[in-house]
Amino acid sequence: MDISPLFLARAQFVSSLSFLAFFLAVALALAWVLLFFKLRARYAKQPAWIAAYRFWVRIFALSFVLALAAAVPLLIQFGSLWGSLMDKIGNVAGPLIGYGVLSVFILKSCFLGVMLFGQRRVADGAHTVAVFMVATGQLIAVFWIMALQSWMQTPDGAVIVDGRYQVYDWLAVIFNASVGWRIAQTVVGAALCVAFLMLGVTALQALRRPLEDGEKRAFKAALILAVCASALQIPVGIESGKMAARYQPAKAAAAMGYWHSSATPELVLFAWPDKHSHENLGAITLSNRGGSWLKQDDKGVYQGLDHYAGMGPPVALTFWSLRIAVLLGLLMLAVSWLTFLMTLRKGLDPSTLPSWWLRVLIGMMFSGGAAVVVGWWVNVIGSQPYIVSNTITQAEVLGTVSRGVLAWGLGGFAVVYAGLLAAFISMLFYAARYGVVPVRKAGGTS
Amino acid sequence: MMEMLAASQGLSINDPGFWMPLALMALLFLLMVAGVIFDGFDVGVGILLQFAPAEERGRMMALLSPWRDANEFWLLLSIGFFVAAFPFAWGAIFSKLYGPLALLAMGAMVRSVSFEFRIRARTEHKPRWIFGFWAGSLMTALGQGMALGLIVTGYQTDAGYGWFSIVVGLCAVAAYILLGATWLIMRVDADVQRRAVSWARHSIRWTAVGMVAIAVTLGLANAGIFYKWSNTAHLGLAASLWVLMLCGFVSIEMVLSRLPGQAPRLSWLPFVLCITLFVLMLGGLAYSLFPYLILDDMTLWDSAGAIGSMRLVLAGAAVGGPVVLVFNVLAYRTVFGKDHR
Repeated sequence: MDISPLFLARAQFVSSLSFLAFFLAVALALAWVLLFFKLRARYAKQPAWIAAYRFWVRIFALSFVLALAAAVPLLIQFGSLWGSLMDKIGNVAGPLIGYGVLSVFILKSCFLGVMLFGQRRVADGAHTVAVFMVATGQLIAVFWIMALQSWMQTPDGAVIVDGRYQVYDWLAVIFNASVGWRIAQTVVGAALCVAFLMLGVTALQALRRPLEDGEKRAFKAALILAVCASALQIPVGIESGKMAARYQPAKAAAAMGYWHSSATPELVLFAWPDKHSHENLGAITLSNRGGSWLKQDDKGVYQGLDHYAGMGPPVALTFWSLRIAVLLGLLMLAVSWLTFLMTLRKGLDPSTLPSWWLRVLIGMMFSGGAAVVVGWWVNVIGSQPYIVSNTITQAEVLGTVSRGVLAWGLGGFAVVYAGLLAAFISMLFYAARYGVVPVRKAGGTS
Repeated sequence: MMEMLAASQGLSINDPGFWMPLALMALLFLLMVAGVIFDGFDVGVGILLQFAPAEERGRMMALLSPWRDANEFWLLLSIGFFVAAFPFAWGAIFSKLYGPLALLAMGAMVRSVSFEFRIRARTEHKPRWIFGFWAGSLMTALGQGMALGLIVTGYQTDAGYGWFSIVVGLCAVAAYILLGATWLIMRVDADVQRRAVSWARHSIRWTAVGMVAIAVTLGLANAGIFYKWSNTAHLGLAASLWVLMLCGFVSIEMVLSRLPGQAPRLSWLPFVLCITLFVLMLGGLAYSLFPYLILDDMTLWDSAGAIGSMRLVLAGAAVGGPVVLVFNVLAYRTVFGKDHR
């Protein structure tokens, strides 16, 4: 297979994005969970909540560090891989990226230090405010990132003049057609990611030894979060799919494995989309049920991939990314609700669960994270060959970096990401097994 | 002078399209200088870890920790501000610097994660994270130097230029070692200080080589810049800059040769002189390139976004600037002083 520079650039960008998306999801949702622990500790006056906070704030710190560090390569790649992209969308992307970085700076410099190292130094109320500000600050930073990312999917509020986007309405740019559902997706995905991480880690602890009160409380909170988020993901998923059909019909057609336009589209559940024959191999379909997730033209014909000759995304990858995301979502729904029902009469206590079910929960530890990553693949890979929907392709903004250099870069980033991911997982398991010891960081006094 | 500059762009001096990019450029320059100095001594100490005896490495990293949160943010902040202020030059420059920037990105990522993870790692894993911090610092310094090497040769990619950028990369490593070592000289006493003096004396000549190489190449490769530095109107400025830099190097060397024994009260001087040298060099570089961001191709007015976008960026800077300033003044007020333990 001939590996093109374009492929290498895409692989690099998607891998950086996936790495950031996972740790950002953990940090984003865990901050709110920690705020909840903190508030419970403050108002319910039960020290067990403090124990739960102490343990999970460590995992939060690790993922925040990784997410912040991963922002640098992604930002640099945004400029260095897609060389002339900023020349076209700079008027829009420049301020949005700037605000995103500024939000992170403010939350990190003003509040993160207090949250992580100031618990003994400041009053409890001030510490709770710091946790709240970190949680809010992350949400604001994510808002700016998602505003840019969703604008690239549905570019509203700006027009191309002489090859360059000029903004005529900033509110329309920021609150573009897809931003709402994309943020909802991100938040629900992050909640699931953290909920299943917490369920899995607590299950792991429950297998080894009797649980402490704080761990049981963390499990309970995670279970309720998982039950709510896995139910919420259904409307969010359906609406996101309909939105894709409306604004990015090629992505929708690829995700549905819908090759040939017709008035009675079938819904393809499973198949292997073959890009050479333009057919689905071994397809399991429901006839005439696919219409909701496809774009219909004036004559009532649903647009298939044949409508976008050569300008559609890689079908099999988009198709299967969506299938995996949906399967993971259904699995999480089933597991969280079953766990809920199994423990409902026992106060949602994980120690009453049979050990095989605890193993199921351990197996599902990273299912939420995997769903977040695969969801991003549907979104980004499904938009190919475009980088800004229907106007700018990835190929036209690709820089002139040689294949060899790109391959070295991809290899280097892969080693770094794999090493850091392994380190995170090993520290997570070590903390789950032996608990955490509070750390001190030397303050500004010398 | 400002009128001339405005006229050369066909703009009036009160036109936001004229002064906004200038204001943004001044802010970006300040951010970059601060980043080179404050993140620089951090990088320098990181590179020195492998030269230090194993039992001192943990302490050297702990010395950095009061400023670490501030130090590590300059890179992201300057990249973020650069893209916000000059989006059109940003992509063009970054795509020409893919290799060095990839090295820089990996290095910066590894070092910031290593620093934080070391604090939280179990004891037997700490040496790994110290190694990671060292490797990340080395990659960061190399990447920055190589990028600078490409910038001063006008982004040429022929084989000879590649070697030149690698040499500049190594000189940048030396320069950061000098900065880190002089900071340590100021910060600590006894054994580590003695070692730091020797590190500084080894690295100073390579720092000088690098700075001269950059200046000479910049002048020889670009007729416009050669003219700027050699025409009689500005000869005084050019000559005084060179004399100042020479004096800087000589004084650092003189103080170093008297440390730690003879002049203990002057232990802060090499670091301050070193900062002066870095500021002079960056100032010289900025003077050479101005008003271009990409030499002879893109001025800062070409690279700035539309007025509306710039207005948003300046509004953000007006909100964020004071926060950045207050935070950093609080963070760095103790950076010049001895570590008393």
